[in-house]
Amino acid sequence: MESMKRYIKYIAVTAVTLLPLSACNDFLEVKPKGLDLEANYYQNQEEAFNGLVAVYDVVGWQGGNLTTKVGATLSASDDHLGGGEGTGDKTFTTWADYTLTPATGPQEDLWKKGFSGIFRANTLLLKLPGVPMDENVKKRFIAETLVLRAHFNFDLVRLFKNIPLLTEIVTPDEMYGIEQATPQEVYAQIEADLKAAIAEPNLPNTVPASSEGGRVTQGIAHALLGKVYLYQQKWAEAAAEFHEVNGATPGALNAKYGYKLVDNFGDLWKSTADVKFNSESIFEVGYTSTSAGGWGCIACTEGNILNIMTGPRGYTTKTANAPDYISGWSYFPVTQSLFDAIHYDPRYKYTIANLDSLKQYGIADYTPGAQNTGYFLEKFAGRKSNTPVGQAGAPELNYPQNMYEIRLADTYLMEAEALVMAGTDLTRAADLLNAVRARVGLSAVAATMDNIKLERRLELAGEGHRWFDLVRWGDAATVLAGRGFVAGKHEILPIPLNELNNTKLEQSKEYGGTR
Amino acid sequence: MLCFALTCGYAHAQHVVSGTVKDENTGEQLPGVNVVLKGTSSGTISDAEGRYSLEVPSQDAVLIFSFVGYAKQEVPVGERNSIDVLLMSDISTLDEVVVVGYGTQKKSVVSGSISSVKAADLEGMPINRIEQALQGRTSGLTIAANSGQPGGGATVRLRGITSFNRDGGNNNQPLWVVDGVIIDNGGIGYLNQSDIESIEVLKDAASQAIYGARAAAGVILVTTKKGKAGTLKMNYNGYYGISEPARKLDLLNATQYATLRNEAAAANGDPLPFANPEAYGQGTDWQSLIFNKSAKRQNHEFSISGGNEKSTFYTSFGYLSQEGIVATDISKYKRFNIRLNSTHKAKKWLTVGQNLGYAYNKSIGLGNTNSEFGGPLSSAINLDPITPAVVTNPTEANLPIYTNNPVRRDENGNPYGISPYVGQEMTNPLAYISKQLGNYDWGHNIIGNFFVEAEPIKGLKVRSTVGAKLAFWGNEAFTPVYFLNSSNIISQNSFTRENNVRLDWNLENTISYTRTLLEDHNVTVLVGQGAYLDDNTRMTRVTFNGIPADNFDDASFNYKVPATQRTSDASEGQDHTVSSLFARINYDYKEKYLISALVRRDGSSRFGENYRFGIFPSFSLGWVPSNENFWPANDVVNFLKIRGSYGFVGNDNIGNFSFLSTIGSGRNYTFGTTGSYLNGFSPNAPANPNLRWEETTSTNIGFEATILNDFTFTFDWYKKATKDILQNPRIPFYVGAISNPAANVADMENSGIELELGWHKQVGELTLGFNGNFSYLKNKVTNLGNGIKFLTDGNAGFQGSAYSITRTEVGHTYNSFYGFQTQGIFQTQEEIEAYVGPKGKIQPNARPGDFRWEDINGDGLINENDRKFLGNPMPNYTYGFTLSAGYKGFDVVVFSQGVAGNQIFQGLRRFGIASSNWQTEALGRWTGPGTSNTYPRLVTNDPNNNLNNPSDFYLKDGDYFRIKTLQIGYTLPKSVVSKVGLERTRIYVMSENLATFTKYNGYDPEIGGGTMSIDRGIYPQARSFMVGLTVGF
Repeated sequence: MESMKRYIKYIAVTAVTLLPLSACNDFLEVKPKGLDLEANYYQNQEEAFNGLVAVYDVVGWQGGNLTTKVGATLSASDDHLGGGEGTGDKTFTTWADYTLTPATGPQEDLWKKGFSGIFRANTLLLKLPGVPMDENVKKRFIAETLVLRAHFNFDLVRLFKNIPLLTEIVTPDEMYGIEQATPQEVYAQIEADLKAAIAEPNLPNTVPASSEGGRVTQGIAHALLGKVYLYQQKWAEAAAEFHEVNGATPGALNAKYGYKLVDNFGDLWKSTADVKFNSESIFEVGYTSTSAGGWGCIACTEGNILNIMTGPRGYTTKTANAPDYISGWSYFPVTQSLFDAIHYDPRYKYTIANLDSLKQYGIADYTPGAQNTGYFLEKFAGRKSNTPVGQAGAPELNYPQNMYEIRLADTYLMEAEALVMAGTDLTRAADLLNAVRARVGLSAVAATMDNIKLERRLELAGEGHRWFDLVRWGDAATVLAGRGFVAGKHEILPIPLNELNNTKLEQSKEYGGTR
Repeated sequence: MLCFALTCGYAHAQHVVSGTVKDENTGEQLPGVNVVLKGTSSGTISDAEGRYSLEVPSQDAVLIFSFVGYAKQEVPVGERNSIDVLLMSDISTLDEVVVVGYGTQKKSVVSGSISSVKAADLEGMPINRIEQALQGRTSGLTIAANSGQPGGGATVRLRGITSFNRDGGNNNQPLWVVDGVIIDNGGIGYLNQSDIESIEVLKDAASQAIYGARAAAGVILVTTKKGKAGTLKMNYNGYYGISEPARKLDLLNATQYATLRNEAAAANGDPLPFANPEAYGQGTDWQSLIFNKSAKRQNHEFSISGGNEKSTFYTSFGYLSQEGIVATDISKYKRFNIRLNSTHKAKKWLTVGQNLGYAYNKSIGLGNTNSEFGGPLSSAINLDPITPAVVTNPTEANLPIYTNNPVRRDENGNPYGISPYVGQEMTNPLAYISKQLGNYDWGHNIIGNFFVEAEPIKGLKVRSTVGAKLAFWGNEAFTPVYFLNSSNIISQNSFTRENNVRLDWNLENTISYTRTLLEDHNVTVLVGQGAYLDDNTRMTRVTFNGIPADNFDDASFNYKVPATQRTSDASEGQDHTVSSLFARINYDYKEKYLISALVRRDGSSRFGENYRFGIFPSFSLGWVPSNENFWPANDVVNFLKIRGSYGFVGNDNIGNFSFLSTIGSGRNYTFGTTGSYLNGFSPNAPANPNLRWEETTSTNIGFEATILNDFTFTFDWYKKATKDILQNPRIPFYVGAISNPAANVADMENSGIELELGWHKQVGELTLGFNGNFSYLKNKVTNLGNGIKFLTDGNAGFQGSAYSITRTEVGHTYNSFYGFQTQGIFQTQEEIEAYVGPKGKIQPNARPGDFRWEDINGDGLINENDRKFLGNPMPNYTYGFTLSAGYKGFDVVVFSQGVAGNQIFQGLRRFGIASSNWQTEALGRWTGPGTSNTYPRLVTNDPNNNLNNPSDFYLKDGDYFRIKTLQIGYTLPKSVVSKVGLERTRIYVMSENLATFTKYNGYDPEIGGGTMSIDRGIYPQARSFMVGLTVGF
């Protein structure tokens, strides 16, 4: 019996050995080393902010194929062509001559951009409620994220019309089952997001330019909501939002948001710190020369690639007073049509770089690229003076010039348009229109749609609005007829071909689909 | 059938019988043998010296001697009072025991499908790695060496593949379990073959499922030798020999090369590069410069085993040294092994013990063992034969390329020749060797377990085992300043040291109970629990650049270079944990009706939170009609067992944390005017909490029979259906993810039949034996998920070609060869004109001598859409057999194996370097109408893509039959050796890879790798000749 006791003892020992391991869930919870996981990220305000920065990152998105929203839509408009080297870059030339197919064109990059932003925004919106942090700051983050999601959805619905409407992250289970929403549903969501942000008192009216310039404000939310209304032809609602942004007196400072047209139109196109986030800037896209962007990942740079893209190819100076353009890649050459329209306008010299003229007068030389017209986009052409020096990375990918997504002259003209279309306050419409003109020393004109359209074209040339405007006004088919634009088709981009593989998405009817 | 010898004593009227029991083969005394008086329960057990003593009631008494692993003997006592018995070891009989997971089982009542290789099958065989011990020796396994590099591993596939290649195909390697310790795929090379007692290959789910979520690629159990109580036994076995390459490629000599280059240039409209081809003569035979016809090879093993009733032990020492046959100076392998296994009966009811193996290996590898991108072999194949190996001509040696660059030189100071014709990664192999000298990899492996087993009640065993694998490995490499050619330049030397350490451990507790109920019902129940942790490799690496040394021997980290000249790196693996519960019941009624059922529940840290635990059940049934009363008692069919099984197993080899969403950086943005930017972070992809194991359902039906006493026959048919195979499918962009999360999407099927046949016969002093096996396997992908049409494998690129040479598509074998189809060669311009489709001429730019490509989709164009399935890299048929014969002291063993049904893609010539040398096949190229319909004209730019397109032109039949081992031995008569105190002495001569029969014209048709059978210039298996000696003390 003595030995029996030992058996019992032994069995007890075994049981004790077994016990801790039967609680094996802990044993299986392996902590990944050196990896940040979604599941245990977003644990504090700093990580939440890092997530917010990632959403903003998409605002400045520049695709691996050099595709940017502004660049691509420039090539589609009557003001520009695709350009590039030799035979040209099919990404843009196919939109310039309207030979787009679901497989060729800039649509895949633009589609990716929008949905990357929405994924990041939806991730953050899912995570923020659980982040232990200052509640007011959290509310501000949520409002900012909603505005950015609205911005991404707005671009997508404008470009593609038939998009999936995603307000939550897509899980692997539902990945292939997503269907497209109607444009109305998308617009409703955009409006809801913007209204929710506007209703949030923690979303500030202004931010300190030096440290937070570029972050979403109430002004941005109102301006974007106005634009969203305008695209839906909700004139009164649009006018109201723009009124909020533009202020009581056109041309005067709107103290609430600090908005006022800058005095010198040419200053808008500088890239120095004092010009960034100026009083005219509403929604500005930030770039910097310090991110050491290199050729290994063009999409990774925080520098503005439009500067090198729009510069004249093979530029060399012949005289000391020649402009200090850098030698660029000759994308988005300006058309004769825009040249003719703006040639005698005070804004001409800030808008167009006339290389043919420089060449003709022996001041400088350049190599014509694809679809060359001799005219280049002065607003963005890179210059020696803003080429980064002594910074890591490839200089050509690190220009620090910011871009305006929305600026005050734009909202002035949009409000004028809404008022004219609504037929309500034509006086204010004229005041708005003429404030824009007066800034560059032009005389007053009547508030008619024709005048507003021309003003938009000249004031905002090269900033990526023209193609959207033409489509919105129904003028595209007429204006772009010579470029191959087919009414009822080219108002939107095709759904990217790869996106139809294995999914429930349908191609838009415009491109032979069923949607 | 029972052979025994009796030593008769004189008749005495006493009641006590005594004697000694010995092993018939070895003469070793056998302790622990049961000696029972027939018809009673009285008996005894032999002592440590094999002695027994028993009282018998009368001269009619019969003694029954029985012992595990030996045939039972019945001996009538008669008038004798001293009876010595020789027991015959019982490997081939039905009392054979096989190792199953967490236990052993009598082979005759096993209802699953298990193949075994026993120590006796491997004795004296020249086996450097355990994979070689299995190749051709059991059915169900397809094994191909990854290269002939000494110490190199092999690709092992058990009943096909159940997963899509990741990690270079390692996820399809079976689970190796050595004495209960799970060994990762790369680590099995530490074993010394003479330490192996048995290898069991678990082939169907019924036997595999006890390893649950890690068993889908198959399970191979290795058991090492244990000591036996009795006299101390010492054994030495060793051999020494030389290796040589079995075959050289037939390459062009210098004149032929220059002639063909001229022809290709002329066809291209280029000036002729060589004015007078005849002037070059034979030129350089690069192959003979790197091949070694007398590479040394030796192996020595020494073991001591023994013990008493309390303790037994087995301890061994092994030394293996092998030189490679290619570039021997940088191709060598050495291994030292020590093993200590012991078992102690601490109490009557308590056993403790340990199995512990240690191995040190030093391996010098030449690097590219199957690569078309340079290295000694690839360079020897592709370099022009005009360039001299060593430049001795002073004019040439004073060319700027030699005087202005840090070129490598031989011991006389002459530069190694640099080819002006063939550049890029192709470099003079002698120069290449000279820069690698001294560099080596090393490893220490300590693998073992410790167990405690209590048997408080007869039949009830409670066992706890803790096992671990501790591995240290690393490398030391010095890279001197060198200039091999203009693409291979190092201008600053560097010295690198890398160290890795890794500890895997497991803990297992089992309780088993074996009982016979109501005499005829045999039941064994097992329940257990296990915990496993592995994958935590820690690596550190340091490099010093620009040290004041110019060769490995002088290099030292004591040279303190400035901090800017030091680089370092470190990393660590992610833990992989598995927690398991399992249970099994084996039941048989009179050994006639067999039932086995088991279930394992595995939790793995690799599974998503929604599928953390997988349950893997299986069951099997067997019927032994030959044990039925109705079975005719004749010698036609002595034994017949019919069995079937069904079950589920999983594969958790899906990578760590694949189910989680990781946060990526670099999503940066700039605010404000300061110019600085902020770091943004966001998830790369949504998490997949549903990520789970790949699951294989397996059905097996088979039978085993013994016929006419001498023939054993096993047949199996199986079908395995794998579902939820892991893939990283491209996900829609609207998901917004940066990377594609892994998901369980694809399905695949494997089915096949297997035969094993054995025959053993003793006719007088002549013993004859035959063991053969044959397997047929068919693999088919049945679903790729989400409407995905096909996948391509990253392992199957073809030089710089845009085309992957394999494709995986539903309805086809996984990773089948895929490419263009030739339809002969255009002999005349008329044939080109006549080859028309809907758009006119299909190959308008072709010239006579170019391939006619099949317009597979009939669209009148030849492009990427005109490719099709061309063959299968994995053999459908594998077979092997052993013939053995013994007469008096002589014995002969011939072991051969082969495969059939596969194709080899021969991509060893660098088509991207137009000036690469050709095999002599090229002499049969098309040179005019009627000259060739298979080998196209040579033209430098290859406008018709004759060579650039992966096509059936590159595919060759992969069938081979190989005489793997031939061994002839002679055992000295015992009467002679016992005089000098030896038990047994055998001398033998043997050859490995004596002959290979194949139509394949490359070095070697045996080509392993993630995707098998792609010959990029494989390091071939050596042919060896050895003499050996076995001595037992």
